[in-house]
Order: sequence, then C-alpha cells, then structure tokens
Amino acid sequence: RSCAARLRTLGALRGPPGGRRLPGREPRPALRSFSSEEVILKDYSVPNPSWNKDLRLLFDQFMEKCEDGSWKRLPSYKRIPAEKIQDFKTHLLDPKLVKEEQLSQTQLFTRSFDDGLGFEYVMFYSDVEKRMVCLFQGGPYLEGPPGFVHGGAIATMIDSTVGMCALMAGGVVVTANLNINYKRPIPLCSVVMINSQLDKVEGRKFFVSCNVQSVDEKTLYSEATSIFIKLNPAKSLT
Amino acid sequence: MIRRGFQVAARLGHHRGLLGAPRILPRLNPASAFGSSTDSVFSRFLPEKTELKDDALPNASWCLDMLCLYQEFLEKTKSSGWIKLPSFKSNRDHIGLNLPSGLAVSSDKGDCRIFTRCIQVEGQGFEYVIFFQPSRKKSVCLFQPGPYLEGPPGFTHSGSLAAMMDETFSKTAFLAGEGVFTLSFNIRFKNLIPMSSLVVMDIEVGKIEDQKLYMSCIAHSRDQQTVYTKSSGVFLQLQLEEESPQ
Repeated sequence: RSCAARLRTLGALRGPPGGRRLPGREPRPALRSFSSEEVILKDYSVPNPSWNKDLRLLFDQFMEKCEDGSWKRLPSYKRIPAEKIQDFKTHLLDPKLVKEEQLSQTQLFTRSFDDGLGFEYVMFYSDVEKRMVCLFQGGPYLEGPPGFVHGGAIATMIDSTVGMCALMAGGVVVTANLNINYKRPIPLCSVVMINSQLDKVEGRKFFVSCNVQSVDEKTLYSEATSIFIKLNPAKSLT
Repeated sequence: MIRRGFQVAARLGHHRGLLGAPRILPRLNPASAFGSSTDSVFSRFLPEKTELKDDALPNASWCLDMLCLYQEFLEKTKSSGWIKLPSFKSNRDHIGLNLPSGLAVSSDKGDCRIFTRCIQVEGQGFEYVIFFQPSRKKSVCLFQPGPYLEGPPGFTHSGSLAAMMDETFSKTAFLAGEGVFTLSFNIRFKNLIPMSSLVVMDIEVGKIEDQKLYMSCIAHSRDQQTVYTKSSGVFLQLQLEEESPQ
C-alpha cells in the first residue's frame, strides 16, 4: 500500500503546505505560476499508486468506451473553480449565508484525503443514456463496522454520483431526497461500480436511481433512489 | 447575549484545561445509569479507563452554540440519565468484539479510522458529540461541519450530513439493541446547512422487531426555527462475539 507516496499537491494558495512529489510519476504539463486570481486545478480522477488492480482495469475499460465520444470521463477537483461558485450564488436564496472568507478554506469533501486513504473514484458519463457510472475504491479512513465501509461513506458516494447525474441534466441542483437500501456490506479497500440513471424529470425535480455492484456485476451491495431540485433564484428548496 | 458569552468563555477556559489533561475517561458505573439488560453492551462500549483520545470533547473550533448546548447536555448527564458517548478514532477501539465469523474481514488494513473521525485536524471535518438517554432510547448529536465537508459552495455536503446521521443512528442502534449494519436509510433534505454552523440532531428509536431497529431523526438549527433534514433508518441486530484473548 502506498500511503507513503504522495502526489505533488496543487491546490490554491491555501492548499496543504509543502511541495511533495511522487517519484516516477508520469510526466505532467509543466506548471506555470499563477496570480492569486487563478487557481492551479489538479484533476483527481486519474489513476494514482493507491488504485488497486480492479480499479485500474475498470478505468481502462471505460476509457476505451470514451474513444468514440459516447462516454466522457469527468475531471474532479478539490475546489470548485471561481466561475462555478458565482454560478451557484446567483441561484441562492440568501447569498449572505455564504461567508466569503470561508470559501477559500473549503474543499470538496470527497477530495479531502491523501491518496488511497479515503475516496478514490472516477466518474464516467453517457449523455445518450443519461447514465453516470462511478468507479469507487473506499480506503481505510472510511471504516464503519470493522473491515467494512461506513454506511455514511457509501451514502456520500451515492449522493455524489446521482448528484452529478442530475447536474449534467439540470445544471445547478441540490439533493432533496435520498433513499438507500443496503443489501450487503462493502469490504474496505474493495472496488465497486455505482451505476446511476436519470429516470425522469418533472418540472424542477430530477429523479435519479442507482445500484452499487461488484466489479464482476455478480454482487449487489446497495440500491438507491433520489430526487434533486434545480435551484431557482428567490425560491426556497421545499 | 454578552453575559452568556462571558459564561461560555469561562467554561471554555475550563475545557481548555481538559484539552491538556491526561486522556483518561471519567469512571462510569454502567449499573447505576442503565437497566441491567443493557449492562453488558454499555460496559463494553464505555470502558472505565483508556488511554485513547476522546474526540467528542470541546476544542477551540467549536462555535458558541455548540459549547452552550454541550454544557446543557453535560448537566443532563448528572441529573436526567443522559450519557455522553466517547468517540475514538477507530470503531475497533469502541467495540471490543468480533463480528460473527463468516462476516469478519481480516484486518490487515493498517491505520483504519471510523469515517466520521477521518479528518483529525481540529475544526476542519466532523466536529460532533453524541448524548444518549438509555431509558427513553433517544439520542442527540451536536454536529458542526467544517470546511473540508463542503458540497455546494459555502454549504455542507449532503453526503457528509448523511454520514453524520448514519453514524448517530449506528451508535444509537448499537446501544439500544445491538444494531450493527445499516439496512436502509431515507433522508429528506429541507434546507442547506451553512458551513461551520451548529446542527442539532434529535434521534428516537421506534420499534424493534424481527432483528431490526427502526429510528427517526430530525436535524435542525439550535433555535429549532430551521429544519435541515428529516430522516429514518433501519438497522440490523447482530449478536457480537467476545474477542478471544490475544
């Protein structure tokens, strides 16, 4: 396990201190120094040394599907780019609720871990099928019952996956309802596929369902349904 | 308001003292606090002495609302049969028991952490404490989500909220009736939660039948004016085995 290996951290100015580089890493484009208005964005949805064989295999399979354009790999950042934040705020009921100074210290929950310790995942999207597939490997910091992934961590990944599915269809959305049935516990550090589908749209409501399966699709771990709501300026959530 | 601020500041001073104190939990006598039927579960869950760090104690990142309510519930632990649950970095520290053979997974994962204590930096992740009232099978979780739990900009990730609820359900289910695994979970989100504000979760155990525990939860602001979520959870009861001597 390569918990000791670290990728160079490319965060905003308030990112973790120190530059750490993983030896032998595939070459990346050279980094320019940015002014304080711009942010270096590192894409986390690419293989790193903590990805096990199953995850890499699935990743390769889905990358092949992307070759004809029918599927797309979604990049994933620790922080949301500035323009997206603005986009969100225009939809907010009360923008005063968001404190400016806090925004710069925050980071996306599912990317708040060092390699391999928390959520390792990548999402692929098919616009034609309105399907979002998430390949997910849950690390040792996501434990619930000893040796298994915490139900809340599973809920987090399900929420993220169905949320992205709704977002692709509806733009700025928030979770209104999440309903999960757990069939079997997921062993820690194993890889699962979260397969989500946009079922229907009713006005501002987006209905998305998903299942969580093993790599060979023989084991069903959980099933979920969800409703997302497209935010409307000056309208409440409910 | 100012006076309360001073009172809280004075208590914070006391708690700061706690921060530097040796990390030995206060002695608890399970028999006096709970009915004899829950004795064994509690005595395993709340060890008398431990060198483990209890994360469910105030620290400098806790907002005033959280400190105030913490104090209120601490008073209730003396007067009305509430217990403050300790919270360790790993579930394995809590539950000195094995899952039934056949379910157990070999634990060679090295450093494992319980999900809700995954981020150990003060104030950045999950700051929370759970209080449980055995006689009425109710619990309350005081939860302050930190900046690393962001979802929509400036607000808490709904997944992290789900995680906090699942964890509170989980500890409640374990203490109320040896519930171990989540079977199902339903959450209705009503309002977004601003980063670093206090969320109060009220949980009740409803029926227990067919090896299942049914629980419900309402998460709201301190003044109860804003309801953040309403949720329900069902947990599976399992007989846990004593850990074999090593």
